[in-house]
Amino acid sequence: MPKIKELEGKGTLTRRDFLKLGSLAGLALTISVMPKVVLANNEEKKDSGKTRWKKGDDILLRMLDDLNRALLKPEQERKWSMAIDTRKCVGCFSCTISCIAENRLPTGVVYRPVIEEESGTYPHVSRRFFPRPCLHCENPPCVPVCPVKATYKRVDGIVVVDYDKCIGCRYCITACPYSARYSDFGENYTSPLQPYEKLPSFEYQKKWLRKKGKSPIGNARKCHFCIHLIEDGILPRCVSTCIGRATYFGDLNDTESLIYSLSKEANIVRLKEELGTKPTVFYLI
Amino acid sequence: MRKFICILMALLAIAGLVSSYVRFLEGMKVTNLTSSIPWGMWVVFYIYFVGLSAGSYLISTLPYVFGFRRLERIGPLAILCAILALVTGLVFIWMDLGHPFRFWKVITNFNYTSILAWEVILYSLYLALLLVSFWFLKRCELVSQAKYSTGMKRVLAKFLSFSFSCPQTQEQYQDCHLFSLNLVKYLGFIGIPLVLFVRGGTGALFAVVASRPHWFSGLLPVMFLVSGLLSATAMLLFIHHFFSTEKERQENLPMVLILRNLLLLFLSIETFLFASETLVGIYSKIPERLELYHLVMFGPFPYIFWGGQLFLGLIIPVFLCSYKKTRRTSFWLSIAGLSCSCGVVSIILNLVIPAYVLPMLKGLDRAFIDHRLIYFYFPSIIEWLSSFGLISLVVLVFIYLVENLPVFSRTEIKF
Repeated sequence: MPKIKELEGKGTLTRRDFLKLGSLAGLALTISVMPKVVLANNEEKKDSGKTRWKKGDDILLRMLDDLNRALLKPEQERKWSMAIDTRKCVGCFSCTISCIAENRLPTGVVYRPVIEEESGTYPHVSRRFFPRPCLHCENPPCVPVCPVKATYKRVDGIVVVDYDKCIGCRYCITACPYSARYSDFGENYTSPLQPYEKLPSFEYQKKWLRKKGKSPIGNARKCHFCIHLIEDGILPRCVSTCIGRATYFGDLNDTESLIYSLSKEANIVRLKEELGTKPTVFYLI
Repeated sequence: MRKFICILMALLAIAGLVSSYVRFLEGMKVTNLTSSIPWGMWVVFYIYFVGLSAGSYLISTLPYVFGFRRLERIGPLAILCAILALVTGLVFIWMDLGHPFRFWKVITNFNYTSILAWEVILYSLYLALLLVSFWFLKRCELVSQAKYSTGMKRVLAKFLSFSFSCPQTQEQYQDCHLFSLNLVKYLGFIGIPLVLFVRGGTGALFAVVASRPHWFSGLLPVMFLVSGLLSATAMLLFIHHFFSTEKERQENLPMVLILRNLLLLFLSIETFLFASETLVGIYSKIPERLELYHLVMFGPFPYIFWGGQLFLGLIIPVFLCSYKKTRRTSFWLSIAGLSCSCGVVSIILNLVIPAYVLPMLKGLDRAFIDHRLIYFYFPSIIEWLSSFGLISLVVLVFIYLVENLPVFSRTEIKF
């Protein structure tokens, strides 16, 4: 930018010229890249089932492969799942914060808090971290209690809330055995509102602006595996921002996927299994 | 004294209306509820008033369905009490909704697996049944009042008689009244199971939450039913004394004594159920339950248990109903009723709130610090004012209706 300003100052390149040049360059780039993108997309479709991830690559790339492969299948054939490796979680809270930023969560709503667990006595002490998103149970106790069918389980396993239907009775919050649901009381972090709090959220692939009396204010809210991102082939925010790569995401119905192989490990734990909720989020300990 | 109480009630009602307006304007942020304790004072009063309504209706069925004629004089009062209590309970739960103006979605998006959705249907049917029963019981007297009264009494009676014109002679009136009694009796055959579902269902709302050991019990719907009967008997004792003339109090003493006995009966059953539930919980030594009982008895609000549940809810009423100088006095029995009502509210308060106080997952209370995520609840000023304001408003409406409708059948029917 300083260079451009300098040039503008000398009169060798006007703003108009710069914009013209920029547009031409953009057009040229689009023309040159477009066929490749189309080709890559077609190739991806042809290569469905194949993975381009190589050993030694970041596991995020493998999960991206898994995700894109799953998106080629009909929705009812997918089963989204998440795994959290407590041995790798360093307790940095990136997932908590990135989730808040991604979904523009107001004060009092946290989809993914991280529980800290300390055990032992000095000098034999250890510390563990348990991020707790919505566990997207196979038998979710929050679904049958909703009087207006606002909360339901999608065919791909994600438990969602229809903000336009929810009457805000908070029965689902009461029924959830993991306290994974929150009520949006309509409060904000800043007053007067700073610009970042006025930005819309795109949960459930819709645009939600915070206005008094309008959804999502007054609604029950919860983690939804960032549906708006995964439907576009992007990993949930908590997965992509995990610095310890402790969070895994993918399609449990895909036997080639990383999440599937993890689900067959011997050291997995599901929270409160005795309640028969069958969470699809599991922990590696 | 009565005038002073009415002025106080009116002031409270105004404060309540203003705070309710603030609540609707500002939304749920005016409450002190959190995502950890999402149900508070309004839900407690909703449970209490629905119980009061169900209990009042069940007591009214004693004369009309089971032929217990000695309680006939309190029948219309009990039904009127049931109507107003139900409406009050529903207003409380409506006020508690995050989106109160979407309540109609319960009908358009009905979820048959939700007890709450079924409850809404049952409440509507039950309210209709109560209104029909009350109207049929009082229609002849309303017609008479519309003819021979003056002022507001006449206007009200004329409006509520819905152009009905039955009694022309004494015989016609007898026939008409007999028909009404029979109708109310047959409505009772539908009404009794309906009200059992209404009140049992309110208990089941809590009892089915498997993850909360404080609620998850088959006894809970039964306890809710008994607490409803208890609160209704207690309230009827109080209301009867408050609204009766000295002569009526003397005349109705046998009926008051029956109500006193019923109060003792329901109090014994409620205490037995509560003790059974608590002792089994303590004996099982499940840490979560033990911690909860400890919290209720010695936590931040021990006076709700010791003062509310035990002293006001059990010791005072039992004493006043058994001590020889008070047990046959309408005034002291009405005090026993009032005290017992406070006890029932305390029971509900200790049932609803403590179940939320322990985090569902160990350490969750410290995972993210925010004032809307804390595990502590004390109602906000808006919650206090709107609750007691609404209750005062309902009491004023009740006083107005009792004084302007032939609830006590004080005047002779003229033809």
